[in-house]
Amino acid sequence: MFNHDQIRTRVGISLGLVLVFAAPLLLGQFGPNFPLTYARLKNGLVVILSEDPTLPVVSVAVAYNVGSVHEPFGKAGLATIMENLMFRGSANVAPFQHFNFINRVGGELSASTSEDRTIFYQTVPSNQLAMVLWLESDRMRFLEINEGAFDRARLALLDDLLQKKSEPYYDSQLSFDQLIYSDFAHSHPVLGTEENVRNLTVEDARNFYAGYYAPNNAVLCITGNFNKLSVRELVVRYFETIPRGKDVSQSFEPLVYTRQPVIKTFQDVLASAPAFHMGFRIAPPFSNDFYTLSIVDYILFRGRSSRLNRRLLGRDNKIAYEASGGIERRKDRAIYRIFCVVNNMAMAERCQEAIFAELDRLKRTVLSGPDLVRTKTMFKRDYLERLSSSMERALFLCESFLTLRNFDDVPLELDKYMKVTANDIVGILNRYFTADNSIILNVKTK
Amino acid sequence: MKKIRLRFAVWVVLSGMFVFPQQERFRRSPPPPEPLQELKLPRIERAVLTDQLTVSIVTRENAPFSSLQLIIFAGESLSPNVPAGTATFIASLLGRGTLVRSVSDVEEFLDSIGGAFSVSVGQDHVLLTFHFMEEYLDPALGFLSQVLLQPNFTRAEIDYAKFTTTYNLLAKEKDPDFVARRHLSRMLFQNHPYEKIAFSSDAIKAWNPTSLADFFDRFYRPNNARIIFTGSLSLNVATRKISQYLNLWQPRDLPPIALPPLKVPEKERVCLVDVPQSRECMAYVGTVFPTPGNSERFDLAVLNQVLGGTPTSRLFMNLRESKAFANFAYSEAEFYRAGGVFLVRAKVRPEAIAPALQEIRKEIRTLTKEPASSLEIEQAKSYLIFNFPLQIERYDEFSRRMAENQARNDGEEFWSRYYEQVMLVNADRVFATAQKLLGQPLILVIAGDKSVLSERLTDVETYDVFDAKGQFQYTVTKDKKGAAHEAR
Repeated sequence: MFNHDQIRTRVGISLGLVLVFAAPLLLGQFGPNFPLTYARLKNGLVVILSEDPTLPVVSVAVAYNVGSVHEPFGKAGLATIMENLMFRGSANVAPFQHFNFINRVGGELSASTSEDRTIFYQTVPSNQLAMVLWLESDRMRFLEINEGAFDRARLALLDDLLQKKSEPYYDSQLSFDQLIYSDFAHSHPVLGTEENVRNLTVEDARNFYAGYYAPNNAVLCITGNFNKLSVRELVVRYFETIPRGKDVSQSFEPLVYTRQPVIKTFQDVLASAPAFHMGFRIAPPFSNDFYTLSIVDYILFRGRSSRLNRRLLGRDNKIAYEASGGIERRKDRAIYRIFCVVNNMAMAERCQEAIFAELDRLKRTVLSGPDLVRTKTMFKRDYLERLSSSMERALFLCESFLTLRNFDDVPLELDKYMKVTANDIVGILNRYFTADNSIILNVKTK
Repeated sequence: MKKIRLRFAVWVVLSGMFVFPQQERFRRSPPPPEPLQELKLPRIERAVLTDQLTVSIVTRENAPFSSLQLIIFAGESLSPNVPAGTATFIASLLGRGTLVRSVSDVEEFLDSIGGAFSVSVGQDHVLLTFHFMEEYLDPALGFLSQVLLQPNFTRAEIDYAKFTTTYNLLAKEKDPDFVARRHLSRMLFQNHPYEKIAFSSDAIKAWNPTSLADFFDRFYRPNNARIIFTGSLSLNVATRKISQYLNLWQPRDLPPIALPPLKVPEKERVCLVDVPQSRECMAYVGTVFPTPGNSERFDLAVLNQVLGGTPTSRLFMNLRESKAFANFAYSEAEFYRAGGVFLVRAKVRPEAIAPALQEIRKEIRTLTKEPASSLEIEQAKSYLIFNFPLQIERYDEFSRRMAENQARNDGEEFWSRYYEQVMLVNADRVFATAQKLLGQPLILVIAGDKSVLSERLTDVETYDVFDAKGQFQYTVTKDKKGAAHEAR
């Protein structure tokens, strides 16, 4: 067992001047058997390879360990602008030519920015792997951030913000974020705020790029059909000479809060029906409790037969128009989040009572064997679905590297969820899903 | 002078170094591709069971999921005229419960096998899609047997299906995309059995148990069905299991089906469908074509790719990237037993509807007047060839694609000679297809807020206005001075 820093040390020792990959890992009992190797280049870039020769297709994902939580105070929106700028040209790739290079060979690409990471990914015919590595390395090393590109990226974001602001319940969602996450880093929206975005400068973007878009803050994952020998040469060729950046702090101030219920009200001028947000602060991602919490999520809201789906949206006793819930992760914090749209405020109260009543029922009665098996089957299906294509697998592996305490545990991860017991579930419900740990924001219409 | 030149040269070198420090030579241009690897498509094995049910199997070793697609060759075009929508009516009931399992039992059962069950209705067939974890094959087939042999067509379920379908349809009638698409179907399929797919909420009121039972009894038969199974299973095992679970499913003589060919619109027509208070505007432009041969299908695919198949095609580059008239603009071709539809679909900024329509027309006309360059054709072919494996990578996408091929009776050749067929397409063939197809009169449908859009349609001489349900309201005609006149 070793942590990320130790991986660097362990693999780094064996690297010398030539990239050497760790021995293949074989995923365990519950996972599909796909090979997996990984290593860290001298400049700190983590490289994950997972081969699958079934089809002549290869996926490349580059995940940067940066998201909105890393934005300095008053600079909300910077991470999203950076994602946009990454397509606006680098030293050898003209603006938006990245799209064309990929599209012309029949490939597909996308990118996403979340609270804690920014990922660029593409799938191409396997004979085009070198081209993708060339494209990704060019923007990792030589991104061009000029005034013109920056202004256009900012305008695009302001457009998105305008669109988002016109959606009902968006403002209430932001207000709820402020309630449940107490600090700027975790509570501000990924898209930023109009005021912050307007005040951003091209220098902010350059500093952000220099600080976070460096190989030692990134993971490169290649999955699918590739030649084992040539892929290593290509990775070294395109990425090894990119200089290491400054080391980036990934730690945040610990969350301090007192356990007492919070109930507030928000008026949403765009909402056509009342609603409420409900949240419970839960254990951080991939802590020991997190595995049980993930199974609890399935019991509560996943699948048509889940408890709260039935209780709130059941065909014969429907009390909410819409109801959804799930675990939300923002870097080192997680909450269980529920959102319901209802007919009137009395129904909102009834829904909230129903949620607590269902939670109480689950705490009092140990989940039956068949119910637990069904829940785990759903979980397993969704887990394995995330490995169904080379692109999904690449994203899964990047995500795993950035979130798991120990990447060597990847083959064992599914097993950890499958080992959750009915008693674990009762314990977790009693620990986190309590009235004094709940935060509710009732949303009224104008 | 020499000094100045030298200084300039040094400045150029230094500034280059400053902007792109230590750039290696290999970074300056994209690396050449490796040789293209062969695409080895999995083998399709087929068997016909004693009840005349055709079963196709694609074995994928170590797949954690199995996928079963059941095609029933009875789409909306076979629904009675009254009530239209019977095929959809049945689809809305299937899988929602059986005579031996309540709706909530079915929900629990599907969750317990990691399953997903859905039914989609097309013009010529209905497709039941069933994915599940591979270890649950037996219970999954048991469930399928109940769906087919013991469907729950009780009055309570029928009333509930009518209620939810009406509710969903009313909600969709606020969506310009749905409204425009439905209206285009009505215009293109006028007086053809395919028009029935565009039924309105009024048709739902007429849905009744008798027509439902009659349709189900006539068409949901093994000799009118095909199963496509994808998973880690051999043909022998699959046919044995399917025979075991569906042994009570009886064949029956089927009524002869004669579909007239689709008729090309006689003249161009512009329709404005009102979706009050909608902020969005959708524009559809379409025409029909007779059933194409195999090679024509590939000509059409390349033509579509050039015009609007992807974000690098002409429509998208023009309407979105160059002119910023639209959020997106694509084209697509659909194939049915009696012909096909070629259409352009664009989400347009309402204030730019007039120039956007002009640009769509211009792009279409250009393809009928000038052949696309060989380079453009080759790029389109490259896309189709190289993108194909990406389309079948996921197990569910693969089985969906297989089912579509089987439903259209594309034959083994379409599947196994895909690369070869695309390679054979050239600029002349695409040009001939464009002239034949896009030179025909087109139907243009715009859906959005009439009060906003009608002010913008200044250069359209005549257009018909419809409400969101598709009821004709009036015709607007412009006189020589540009003044609009309404006629009911």
